[in-house]
Formats: sequence, C-alpha cells, structure tokens
Amino acid sequence: MNLLMMGAHIASRNKRYVVWFYLLNLVFAWWGASAFSLAAHNILDHSLYAGRILHGMDVTVVTELFVNPRLGTPAAHGAPSTRLAVACLAVSFVFMPGVWLAYSSDHRISREEFFRSCGHNVWRFLRLVCLFIIIGGIVTGVLFGVQSSLVNAADRTSNERLPFLLMVAGMATIFLGATAIRAWFDLAQADVVLQDQPAIRKSLAAGFRAFRQNWAVLLRNYVVIVLAAGAILVSGILLWHAIVPPASAAGAFLISQLTLFLLLAMRFWQRATAVAFYLGQLSQTDAAEPARMPFPASALSIQQ
Amino acid sequence: MAKCGLLGCLVAVLASGSGAQTVIPSTVSAINSPTPLSQRVVHYEIDARYDAKAHTLDATEILTYHNFTGKPLDTFPFHLYLNAFQPASTYMQERERDSTSGQGRGQPFPGWNPNNYGASEIRSFEIVDQGDLTSQLQFTHPDDGNQDDRSVVQVRPPRPVPPDGEVQFKIRFHDQFPEVLDRTGWDRDFVLGAQWFPKVGVWWHGAWNCHQFHASTEFFADFGVYDVRLTVPQNEVVGASGVRVGVVRNPDGTQTVTYHGDDIHDFAWTASPHYRVHEDTFQSSLGPVRLILLMQPAHWGQLDRHLHVLKEAMDRYGRWYGPYPYKTLTLVDPEPGSQAYGMEYPTFVTGGTSWLIPEGIREEPEFTVEHEFGHQYWYGMVATNEFEDAWLDEGINSYNDVKVMDSIFGPATSWVDWFGATGGASERQRDFYIGVPDYDPLSRLGWQFRNDASYGAISYGKTASVLLTLESLIGEDTLRQAMRIYFLRYRFTHPGKEDFLKTVEEVSGKDLRWYFNQAVYGTEVLDYEVNKVSSIPVDWFKENLREQKGVTEYVSDVWIHRKENFIFPIEVEIRFDDGERVREHWDGQDRWVRFEYKKKARVVSAEIDPDHKIYLDRNHFNDSYTAEANPAPASKLVNYWMFVSQLFAQLLTWWLT
Repeated sequence: MNLLMMGAHIASRNKRYVVWFYLLNLVFAWWGASAFSLAAHNILDHSLYAGRILHGMDVTVVTELFVNPRLGTPAAHGAPSTRLAVACLAVSFVFMPGVWLAYSSDHRISREEFFRSCGHNVWRFLRLVCLFIIIGGIVTGVLFGVQSSLVNAADRTSNERLPFLLMVAGMATIFLGATAIRAWFDLAQADVVLQDQPAIRKSLAAGFRAFRQNWAVLLRNYVVIVLAAGAILVSGILLWHAIVPPASAAGAFLISQLTLFLLLAMRFWQRATAVAFYLGQLSQTDAAEPARMPFPASALSIQQ
Repeated sequence: MAKCGLLGCLVAVLASGSGAQTVIPSTVSAINSPTPLSQRVVHYEIDARYDAKAHTLDATEILTYHNFTGKPLDTFPFHLYLNAFQPASTYMQERERDSTSGQGRGQPFPGWNPNNYGASEIRSFEIVDQGDLTSQLQFTHPDDGNQDDRSVVQVRPPRPVPPDGEVQFKIRFHDQFPEVLDRTGWDRDFVLGAQWFPKVGVWWHGAWNCHQFHASTEFFADFGVYDVRLTVPQNEVVGASGVRVGVVRNPDGTQTVTYHGDDIHDFAWTASPHYRVHEDTFQSSLGPVRLILLMQPAHWGQLDRHLHVLKEAMDRYGRWYGPYPYKTLTLVDPEPGSQAYGMEYPTFVTGGTSWLIPEGIREEPEFTVEHEFGHQYWYGMVATNEFEDAWLDEGINSYNDVKVMDSIFGPATSWVDWFGATGGASERQRDFYIGVPDYDPLSRLGWQFRNDASYGAISYGKTASVLLTLESLIGEDTLRQAMRIYFLRYRFTHPGKEDFLKTVEEVSGKDLRWYFNQAVYGTEVLDYEVNKVSSIPVDWFKENLREQKGVTEYVSDVWIHRKENFIFPIEVEIRFDDGERVREHWDGQDRWVRFEYKKKARVVSAEIDPDHKIYLDRNHFNDSYTAEANPAPASKLVNYWMFVSQLFAQLLTWWLT
C-alpha cells in the first residue's frame, strides 16, 4: 500500500474527527457571521430590490448594500469573523493531539484517551506552534523578500507578464518551502504524541531526521494532497456556479459546505499520511528496539 | 495669411524666427470640413526635442494670439502645468492633503517622491516687435495665493493688443517630465507628453481665466491650430494629436515627426519603443476617420475589444449628437501600471487595460475607451471650463457612458457580465455617488470640493444620476434631443452651466428650476422610503374572527416617508393579494403621506418608483416593502460570507496546526 493509500485508510477509519472539526469550523463561521446576517436580513428581507441579489448577482446592488449605513462597515462585520476564525484555529490546536493519538492507534480510542492526550500535550503543541511560526516566518519571510525583489526588478521592465509570472513562480516556491516545514512539524507533532516526548527539541530533531531520510516521498504526497484540495475547491466553486440556481440558498449552502468539508478532509489526510510515514520510518530505525514503542504494534501493520 | 500649405507655413514661420507671419491659418487638412469649425484664437508652432534618457524636452514655441475679446489686452497669463509637480506647489499640497491618489508606480502619497519632480522653465520670452520680456515674467496665484506655486505665469506687453489685433509670442522653454503623474510624464521608456508647453489662458466672461493646476482639476484652453515638430529617438513609436504630416530620420539617430491639428485646444503626444500599431478607418457622416491604435504588445489580443467599443461609441455619438469632424483619432494603450491611463486630449485619448482582465469585466478596456472617446464631444468640441464646471464634461460624459454602454452591451450587463456576476453602467455611476452624496454641489469650483473623492463622486456619479433621473421628468428622447441641440449649438465654444440647463428647459418646454436648484446648485439628498404597510381586518375587534382570502375585508395603509430634504414627485405602486395593482402619485412636499384602502385583499407590497427611474435616490433598498419577509437574498449573502470565513479559518489551521 503506498503512503497516500495508507494515509487515506487511517483518515477514513477516523473520519469522525473530520466531521467534528468541520462542525467546529461551521459553528464558528456562523457565529462570526451572525452580526452581518442580522444587518443584512434587516435591510433585505422586505425589499423588492433585493431580488437583484437573489435572482443573479448584481454587483452594483451588493456594492450599494455595503455602503448602506444600516449595514455597518465591512470592517466592522469582518472583525468578528476574523476573530472567530482565529478562535477556530485555537480550538483546533487544543484538540489536535487527540487526533494524532487516534491516527496512530489501531483501535477506536476512548473519549477519555482523546481528551487526556489533548490536555497532556497542549503546552508541547503550543511550543511547537511558536517554533513553527518563528522558523516558518523566517523561511517564508526570506522567500517573500526574494520574490518581492525579483518582482520589483521585473516591474522595471516593460514586460507586463514577467512580474506576474515571477510572482506565481515565487508563490509556488514559497508554497513548497512552507509545505516542507509543515511536513517536518507534522512529524514532530506525531513524535510528541506517539513518544510522549516532553522535550520538543527532541521531537523536532526526530521529525527532521524522519523527514530528511525520505523527504521527497513525503513532500510529494503532501503536494499531491494540496493539489487535490485545490481541485476540490475549484471544482466546488465551478459546480456551485454551474448547477445551483441563483435563487437556491439551500443548494448553495449544501454545495459550499460539501466543498469545505472535503477541503478540511484533505488536511486530515495529510496528517494521516504523516503518521503512516512516521511509523514507517520508526519501524525501520527502531526495528531492534520494539519495546520502545508506546502504541499497539498492530498500528504498524498498515505500513507493511 | 488666408491659407498656406501646411509644411510651407510651418517652415516659413520657424525659419523666419521673427514671427513676421501673424495671421492664424485657416487650414482644414486635419478636419473633414471645407471651412474652419471654430473661432481660431491661437496658433501654436512648437519645435521640440525630447531627451528620452533625461526625460527632458527643449523647445521653441511661437504662439500667435488673435484678440477676439473686443477690448485691448494688456496682460497675458500662461499655464506652466509641469511646475505643479514640485513639493510646495498647490497641486502637491492638495494631493498630500487628500492622499486619495497615488496607487500607481512612483506615487507614494502621502509623501514626496523625487521622481515626481516636474518643471517647465521658460528660458526666454519675447513678444515679436516688442522685445524680450523674460525678466518681466511674474508668477501669479489667482486661486489660493500660494507664493510657491509656479503653475501660472503672467506677462504685460509694453503695448496692449488692440481688439481684433494679433500678437506673437516667441518662447523658448525646457521641460522636466515627472514619472507619470496625472497622466503626464515618463514611465520606464514610455512618455506621455501632456500639458507640456506654455499655454495661454482663456478670455472668458470678460476676464482672463487661467487657474493654477490643482489636484482634482483639469484644463481649459482656446481653439486654434497646432503645428508641432517632435524630435525623438528613432526607435520610438510616436503618436499625437492631429494628423501626421511628415517624418524625417536624422543622422544623429533621432527622427523628427511633424503633426498638424485644426480646431483643437490642446496637443498631447506619446512615444515608446514598445507600441504595436494598428490602423483602421471609421466612416463618419463627414468623411473617413483614421483610427490609430498604439497597443502594448501584451494587450494585442485585446485589439478587437478596443476597436469594437471605439467604433460602436463613435457610431452612437454620430447618430445621437453629431458627427466626429476630425480626420484622425489616436487611441493609446499606455505603459502598463503607469498613471497614464484613461485621459482625453483632442483627437488623442489614452485607454488602459491589463492582459489578465477577462472579457466580461468591461471597466477596462471598454468603459475607459468609451469614456475617453466621449470626451471628444464633452471637452474636445464642447469645450467647457474643466476647472470650474467639471460636471459639464465629466458628468455629461458619464451620463453618456451609461447610454452608450447600455446600448452596446445591454443595461443589466454593460459594466460586468462575468461568472454569474452582472452590473449595469447606470448603477455603477450611482454607486459612485451614494457614498458621499451631500458634501458638494455639482456647481462647485473644481478645487473647492471637500476632497478628491467628493470631486469624483459628485462630478461623475452624481451628474450621471441627475441626468438619468431627469429622464423621468422630461423623457429619454427629449433629453437626448436637448443634448444634441446643446452639442450642435455650443461645439467649438466654451459654454457654461446655464447654457446647458437653459437648453434642456428650452427643448423640454418645462420649467425645471426646482429640480436644478436642488440637484445642480444644492446638496440636497434624495431618499424616500416605504415606512410601513399594514392590513387590518375591518372586523378586527370581533372574537373568533376567521380571515379568508377574498372574503375578509381589510383596511390597508401604506406610509411613505421623505427621509431627506430633496423634494421630488414620486409614483408608488401598491400590490394586493388579489393581483390588483394601484399606482399613486405624491408630490413629496410634506415629510410623509399615507395611502389607505378598504378592500377584500391585503397589501402584498408597496414600491416607490416602480419603473426605476429615480437614480438620485440614495437608498433603493428602502424604496419598497413587502408584507411578508423573504429571507432568501440575505441568506444567500450570508452563505457567501460564511464560505469565505470558513475557508479563511481552514487555511489558518491548515498551516498552523
């Protein structure tokens, strides 16, 4: 079984987490949109003019809505949505150790095990996130700086497409760099949970070693999943545009949420792939020390 | 001189150096007309050499001025527009104060960018037969008294110029172009030479009209003849106002390109080594018009979009108002990312587009090209004072943008028709205005608006909305007829606001002062709302009342409220659940009105302006009220909102956890 299939197998055995995190994502977004929703309903519900939004998408009417003082400024409505997106991130972060534990286990872990793992590892994960921000920030910052310099240099030429193409190439490079760092830190997170490692520098080192040994395989799989996610997003939007009648709020809700659900599942697939990869690396290096493994040996069976 | 061969005339004048030739030529080689079209006040003969590396220009200008004022003239003011691009100028002070521009390369407002430095320096100034007056030039500051502003210079001839007399100025000047600012200057190896030569003011309404260059104002000049020789590097492709009458390749690696323009009031030119040239012909009712398109190579695929909208616009303007009389029109697709896009000069306009822009988004190039072509009528021929009456050129042109774009692409999709999103030009103009509806009247002097944003919203968007709303009072056809008569009556002159307003009143046969006083001279805001609707059973007090459709009798009330201070008569349509529709008329004089009905039907909805003609109303959402709520439109938007915020949250968690 290849790595992607193994990851898919792990993720599908634990799909309840995708559902829970999706619901978390949905509830926080709904909460964040509630002020905007209230204001929009106040203005539109009794207005015939709103039909131009319903039966199509007249951008001039939407523009008029957003300059209507009764709606409030987009910034005022955007702030709660942004804050609740950050809150969604924070809650996801708190519950993620439980997901790693479940992914490494060959049985359905109990609720108690899940939350114990979350509580036990939350500060370790917090430290990992801080380091991720520092390392990721430095690497992407340097890459963005290089990209910006190249784009600015290209902007001095009269080739209008060159700055855009350089920007796209730069973004692809930055994406690859960020994906590699994400993969490394995913392995470190797996190490923290699976090895119950209190010293995160050791988990980072272990994650780095595991990644370095077979980085091309893991990175390729990560990129494939990101491309799949991109395809889902684009396909979802195109389907939304093509098959949902403009006036169908329910249809739009269903297809947009299905798209978001599948998109979220892609990230869980990545994590599951990282677990499979990590276990595979570990089984090779620690074959002589099977007693060190804290998780059920049957969890390794999928890597064979 | 009655008529002279163009080149012969130019060469004779330039060779003589004495300015002995003092008759403004009556040439017609640049127009499809056997006789001159305007009262030719000026004749500019300019010989200029452009240094593409230093972005400088050295030139000699011979200006012949004919005094049609009926009185002796003892002073002459000149615009030196490029001097506005200096830190202490009025223009820069205003730009810094408003800080609403500067989105383009090289424009860091707020703040000063040395690349934005521009200057027009008069090296010598002579009046033929009256001597050198260079030392007597004085900068004046008629608008704000800013002693550091050098955008207007004045000279007093030793001998006044008598009525119907002529005077000839011989000016040697040196220009430093800025990195493109307000559609003049250089960007990379491109240059747009606009407002680049000393230009005499306009004697208008019994006085000189020669304003300083302001951040939001444009230009004003007299009609005449232009003969211009431009010397530029041989690798440059050149375009300019008027018709090209000669090209000479010089041994020093330069080329000298000569242009001639009749009955125009400004001259602009451009040069770039990158232009790809396409030439075409438009057949106007007066004769063929040569269309010269100077395109960026990356935009070559959009050539048909440019040509299509240009020809369609020329066709409509020709049919609706009158023919385009010039023999050429040059459409420039300027350097990408520069601030040279979307500007009008006589027979020469700049468009602007991006190679990425999809066909259904018509802001660029279609809207820009159509708008700038429209200026050939409202500014080019009907040469209103852009300093003082911006709405007469930008606003009337914006109204015609709506009419022309709607006519070409359909009213609902004349601005956007892409990926399910639509938008019409009329609502685009209205959206422009409703955000800042009450700071300034249309009639305000250009530089006295609250800021650049108000200037744009009022001059463009409000004027278009005022004229679209005017259609509801006098009819679309009548307004078009009024526009036609206004154009035919005032082309090649400098009309003012009352000339336009009186023409509309005359053609419509209606006294519209009540409307113009509010819409043009006032800052009143128009906003009517359906305040409330209700249907109560007549027997509401009876116990165990059972309401039955078509049986139960109701008293229905509809309250209409005039929320703001613009008084305007309105129609209201009330719909009942038995399908009946009732139309009511209200003069709007009071603050509110109630319409009451006793029927065996309930009110379903009430709608102000059911034919959607009142574009001045700042809030269309409250123009109607339905008895039953329909949450679907808001739910649709909330769904979009949630999708975006969920996606944002997922991207955050994707990378950080």
